Amino acid sequence: MRRKASLILLALAVFFAALSPLLRWYAFPRLAKIPANQYQDMVLEAKDATLVDNSLQEKKVSKITIVQTLKGNVEASEKIEKALGRDVVVWDSLSYAQDPDGKMVAYIPERYIFDAHSQDPVHATGEMVDGDPVKREGIEFKWPFRTEKRDYEYFDAQTRTSNPIHYKGTQNFRGLEVYYFEQTIPWTQVKFPKKLPVAGITPEQIAKTGMTRWYTTVRKFWVEPVTGAPVYGEEIHKEELRGGTLLGDREKVTAFAGHVKMREDYIEHTVDLVKSNRLLVLLMTTYLPWGFLTLGVLLLALSLWLEARSRRPEDPVPADADAPEPVTA
Amino acid sequence: MRALIAAGIGLAVALALVFTITAMGSPTGKTSPKPLLTTVPSHP
Repeated sequence: MRRKASLILLALAVFFAALSPLLRWYAFPRLAKIPANQYQDMVLEAKDATLVDNSLQEKKVSKITIVQTLKGNVEASEKIEKALGRDVVVWDSLSYAQDPDGKMVAYIPERYIFDAHSQDPVHATGEMVDGDPVKREGIEFKWPFRTEKRDYEYFDAQTRTSNPIHYKGTQNFRGLEVYYFEQTIPWTQVKFPKKLPVAGITPEQIAKTGMTRWYTTVRKFWVEPVTGAPVYGEEIHKEELRGGTLLGDREKVTAFAGHVKMREDYIEHTVDLVKSNRLLVLLMTTYLPWGFLTLGVLLLALSLWLEARSRRPEDPVPADADAPEPVTA
Repeated sequence: MRALIAAGIGLAVALALVFTITAMGSPTGKTSPKPLLTTVPSHP
């Protein structure tokens, strides 16, 4: 009976000990992925921002609100997956900005295609920024699972270029250990958006006047390293219109200047979401593998102990057990 | 010999379980019917 039990325990010990590395190094890389049907919105605000009005005069506004939506396009991702034979996510996104009166200030659609597991960009038809085909290098919006303390290439949608985003240290953000990343895009000439706030005016018409659009930004992200999800972001963003006949004797005018930050309720929501996702990733990468390994070792020890007990010879019968008790007078 | 068979069974079950789970994967679902927003949501 003991031998049978020790064999069952041995089988269980091997089962759990084998499950530990299989879960961490085989199952996790295959199961951890961004869902193709994700839908997410984010609200950012730039308080006391500078904006250009329709008569090309700078004005101060109390707040510019930016709404960023990411929507997973399942049909498009399945098409690309069939062609490439790997898990792909297609995000259709829109960055929509409005002034305090609710008037549209910016409207920039994007299509971002990337590997569901590694978040590496995938190049396929449809990848674009504001209708212009692009070929992204590096990441955008999200870092890979198990983010490392190093610089990453980050795609900038305004310049349509990828540049390093630098790891600048580890911080604590609302109870979470996060990696702080920062990227500076120097003043660069960029395209006018296809959809402008003034009805009837096209980017081509503005370009004919000789006016150009310039942009610089300092982009800051606080990234939770287990999930690779940014829990907070800021951008010190400036845009200028330079040259051309429309500005008269002025060389340039500020089109937008503001310190863009995530709205408080979205910060709380993001931190809660990342905390629950972090737990799931840690279960797969740390808690379950170590738990299974410990259980395997304990079961193996128990199995060996039972085996040793079953092999122990029966207690020897004392030699004088049957000897008569000495009789004393 | 019996110990080897028991260990082999444990290993085979672990491999089968992990391969099955990873082969099943996770369902992709459907594209959300919600639009790309051009209004400011009042809450997340």
